[in-house]
Amino acid sequence: MSAPRPPKGHFNILYFASASSHTGKDMEALPAPLPLRKLFDILEDRYRGIQETVLDHCLVTINLSYVDMPSSEDEDGEENAVVIQEGDEVAIIPPVSSG
Amino acid sequence: MNNETNSSHNGSSSSVQRDTSRPLTEEELDRYSRQMIVPGMGKEAQLRLLNAKVLIIGAGGLGCPAAQYIAGAGIGTIGVVDGDVVERSNLHRQVGHSTSRIGQPKVLSLITHLKELNPLPTYIAHTEHITPLNAADLISGYDLILDCTDNPATRYLISDICVLLCKPLVSAASVQTSGQIIVLNCPPTPQGLLEGGPYPPCYRCCFKKPPPANAQLSCGEAGILGPVVGLMGVAQAGEAIKILASNLHIPPAEGEERRPVEPTLLLYSYSLTSLMGPFTFRALKMAPRKKSCFACGEGSQERLTLEGVKRGEPNYEFFCGLGAGPKQGVLKEEERISPREFVEKVQTQKEGKYVVLDTREKEHFSFGSIEGAVNLPFGKLLSKAAQLKRSGEMTPGVEDLLPPETKVKDGEEDVPIYVVCRRGLDSQEAVEKLKEMGLDKGGKRKIVDIAGGMKAWKEQVDPSFPYL
Repeated sequence: MSAPRPPKGHFNILYFASASSHTGKDMEALPAPLPLRKLFDILEDRYRGIQETVLDHCLVTINLSYVDMPSSEDEDGEENAVVIQEGDEVAIIPPVSSG
Repeated sequence: MNNETNSSHNGSSSSVQRDTSRPLTEEELDRYSRQMIVPGMGKEAQLRLLNAKVLIIGAGGLGCPAAQYIAGAGIGTIGVVDGDVVERSNLHRQVGHSTSRIGQPKVLSLITHLKELNPLPTYIAHTEHITPLNAADLISGYDLILDCTDNPATRYLISDICVLLCKPLVSAASVQTSGQIIVLNCPPTPQGLLEGGPYPPCYRCCFKKPPPANAQLSCGEAGILGPVVGLMGVAQAGEAIKILASNLHIPPAEGEERRPVEPTLLLYSYSLTSLMGPFTFRALKMAPRKKSCFACGEGSQERLTLEGVKRGEPNYEFFCGLGAGPKQGVLKEEERISPREFVEKVQTQKEGKYVVLDTREKEHFSFGSIEGAVNLPFGKLLSKAAQLKRSGEMTPGVEDLLPPETKVKDGEEDVPIYVVCRRGLDSQEAVEKLKEMGLDKGGKRKIVDIAGGMKAWKEQVDPSFPYL
């Protein structure tokens, strides 16, 4: 099963487990391109408190591959910085620990 | 307790000479025939399974299905660790137990079931919880570990010990309608080794920090669907069998060329309403061992040792925020009322108007509530509040925070609000939040927490209340 294609100039972001309960959504489309290091700020702005309860300990993938989250102050290596592109699929995956 | 229930093999020591070239018995040939003829299996792979020792930590929703397939496949020695007893509320998902064994230690119940399925393996019962004190002793006797536990502190502990003892770990977890599974530290790689990598990650490489204690969901509180957790447990057995049959649990010999296994996290979500479709599997490519990892990265030998873990370093409970306990004493005394007092002082006084706000999830609410209560799930309350804050519409939009059923006539804006939840924690935070948003009209309107939630309601007021 695949998610619907994001509209032009957007990327899809998928919310799993507690990310989904916090946002009340499974997925949405956000404007692209977006530098990866700005992603958490944008989400915190939309969903107050999500940084502390979800984002700080979750893992992030772009197009099914793990990415290291740079911190938002991290200005070094600007030219190598990851940028989320139009049509990408980003996923927010918090750890689940029950069983 | 370490109780070996079948002494046909010597199952307790970690270094026995294994005869890997014996003929299979008539019964083994018959019993395992269907899996042995699968391409890539054959006699050699089956003998590896017969000689392998697998430890299943947790005999619950993951451990039961995992153990069934591990036992069925003929893994030679199977250890099971759990300190709980079987409860009726386990049985919808913990399929290795039975109604007739309610009250029995889970480990013994599961082994009873497994022996029925396959009497040939050696089963070892560890009827205790895994702790920093016993973890290394439990894990050292096995070739491969399955983490089928239910809390973050234990997950970090098991991963750390597997790094220290060089054991591959198949870790799975599940809650509500989603599940995850990942193979860690496989092939097992010495702690701190980075040169010549990439090497496989450990649990901390993937999840550096646990969620804050109040954001951790347990199956008891959040719920779990049997097939969702079952699927993850079955997948754990599948990974274990694959690893053992192909000898991936043994570090490569010097000079041995081996195609590296890409660390992959399988994510399953199962929701009828999801835009992603009625069910989704996503196989995510994970990063290798991290240089900065506390447990297996550079210089980790200085930070994490077997002796240290026994001494209480690191402190897993503290790391996972469990030492702190629930937030207490946030509210003033007049902002709290016990369920009994609520009935006596509020409910039975017919003339006084009031609003009861129930912040449990709507599924809990669907079984019953305090008379006249209006449902506003805690998560929804928080996100609505955040939305209002963002739009800067504190007043008069703040009234929209409450469900329309609670609207009062002009001149009645000071009718008190009583907030109740499941166990009395969310409701306290909800009271705080409502005050912060200005709904208390600068103190003119009382907002009160019903202390102890519907759990206390059942204990103090209505023993027949369907509290879940």
